[in-house]
Amino acid sequence: MTTSQESTQIPRPSLVSLEKKAYWLGLLLLASGLHVFEAVMPSFGPWFKLGLANIITLIALQSMGTKAAASLAIGRVVIGAFFIGTMFTPTFIISLTATLASTSVMLISWRFIPRISLIGVSLMGALAHMCSQFVVVEQLFIQQIALYYLLPPLLVLSCATGWLNGALATYITAQLTIRSR
Amino acid sequence: MHEPDPSNTPSLWHWLKGTWVDRMLLLLAVIAIAMSWQWLHQNLSGTPMVHIYHGKSLLATYPLHPKTPIHFEAQGDIGLVEITIDSEGVRISHSSCATKRCVLSGHRHRVGDILACVPNRILVSIQGTQKLALDAISE
Repeated sequence: MTTSQESTQIPRPSLVSLEKKAYWLGLLLLASGLHVFEAVMPSFGPWFKLGLANIITLIALQSMGTKAAASLAIGRVVIGAFFIGTMFTPTFIISLTATLASTSVMLISWRFIPRISLIGVSLMGALAHMCSQFVVVEQLFIQQIALYYLLPPLLVLSCATGWLNGALATYITAQLTIRSR
Repeated sequence: MHEPDPSNTPSLWHWLKGTWVDRMLLLLAVIAIAMSWQWLHQNLSGTPMVHIYHGKSLLATYPLHPKTPIHFEAQGDIGLVEITIDSEGVRISHSSCATKRCVLSGHRHRVGDILACVPNRILVSIQGTQKLALDAISE
């Protein structure tokens, strides 16, 4: 009896693995919340967002690795679109494509550029996000290259927000490390 | 729980400065942006004209400063987009899209400025009568 019960039991995941999953889920919820918050807050202008949700992706990248960061970035765009009500609209397509491009650039930078910090990674991500957004809009929707005249000033803003978000992510990661000791 | 010692807390500059690699990347990015900005805007001159596009097709062209205000209705993918050209410049005064970001963008009056309603695939572009740098490349 005891032997058959033991054989049918599903193996319990370790506490460490559960803790890791819970931490990732917490970060995902936080990122989704920031994504929705940014969508409803007054806009700083067309085409431009602060990229606050990306801070959480950077924290995940530093503390959990590339796989967790990539899945979190994609997950928050999908969950965020559900809440904002933009699922499968042009906004969603632009947002998802730009997130895929910027996350890829961030992960490659983190993996292959020596001595880069979260600030540099965030900077690269912000620039990639803005450029890919314009390419998607130009290729799929507007189809007019005059659109690119708007790109340089927005890239300057992306540099500033990318740098600040990276600094914030570095600060938060350092504080989390100190407090978890 | 262990609380961090405030006396050991680094300054704001510590968190903002980044590594020398980050600063190098920023410098390269700024140089690339400045060069592309300069290149894109070098041919933006001549009489400013408003071009209204739906996707690839040019719907209308008007002078930026007409004697009387012009109201143009463009048929977009999901509905009508109303474009107004007056003494202040050009603006999208009404759109059938949900977010109305194009309407909230306000007036545009400089050569090189654009207004876009992505869901309707409508682009309003202010161009000089001289050929644009990007157009020359695409031909």
